[in-house]
Amino acid sequence: MKKTFLFPTLAILGLLFIQGTTKSVSETEAELHALAPDMPANVKAVVEQKCYGCHNAASKNEKGKAKLDWDAFEATKKSKQMATMAKINETLTKGEMPPAKFLENKPEGKLSESDLATLMEWSAGKKKSK
Amino acid sequence: MKLWQYILGGVAVVFVGIQFVPNELPAVETDNPGDIVLNGLASEEISTMLKTSCYSCHSNETVYPWYSYVAPSSWLVAKDVREAREEVNFSTWQEYEMMDKLGILDDIAIEVKEGRMPMEIYTLMHPSGKLDDAQRAKIVTWAEETMDIVAEEEDEEE
Repeated sequence: MKKTFLFPTLAILGLLFIQGTTKSVSETEAELHALAPDMPANVKAVVEQKCYGCHNAASKNEKGKAKLDWDAFEATKKSKQMATMAKINETLTKGEMPPAKFLENKPEGKLSESDLATLMEWSAGKKKSK
Repeated sequence: MKLWQYILGGVAVVFVGIQFVPNELPAVETDNPGDIVLNGLASEEISTMLKTSCYSCHSNETVYPWYSYVAPSSWLVAKDVREAREEVNFSTWQEYEMMDKLGILDDIAIEVKEGRMPMEIYTLMHPSGKLDDAQRAKIVTWAEETMDIVAEEEDEEE
């Protein structure tokens, strides 16, 4: 009688192990997400002061909102965040943001050298640490 | 001679004249070891779509139609291909930094989802390059999934 239970028990134990291995994949994914570097405070400060005005979920600047929405940024997956960072880096390298037209009316919105350096270093991500 | 004959003659002279304006079409290169398809990032189905709908501009394997050798359309083709390759060149995929690969894949998903790519002027001349909604959805899903693969590969390398 006991032996008849042996196989099902082993089978269930086996299943547990199979589940264990598949789970470890999703666990590493979760770890990756947790390890995703949160935005440093100095970066957040610049973003809030110089970018957020147009790049937010309630922005009336439709183009700005479509291109980048800081309210959605932290909730997106890590790879998407890094994609956004790469594009921010490119845009800043070209000197396209904040737009020249915007700065005509609001010269104080310009990024200072240290603002720019902060954003560039952050958005370069792993590029520089290589 | 009548007026319309003068006008026609003038147009003909201008047309012949502009053929001598130097215009260089971006070079074609068929041996591309860094190609995204050769590097196994795209399934056969996705590869086929990329090749028929994107590669004419976004790769080194441009197939130039006859009108790309005749001004003024040759100017437009040269400009579009040059700019397209600057944005993303699938032939030199492996040369991109990981972060740039992610940015490009994200752009692919956005541009294809919103119907901005392939450009209308391209599908007008190449109807086979048109993507239907189902094909668009497949490319978007592929681009989004590949972003995770690219990001994780980098983590493993470290």
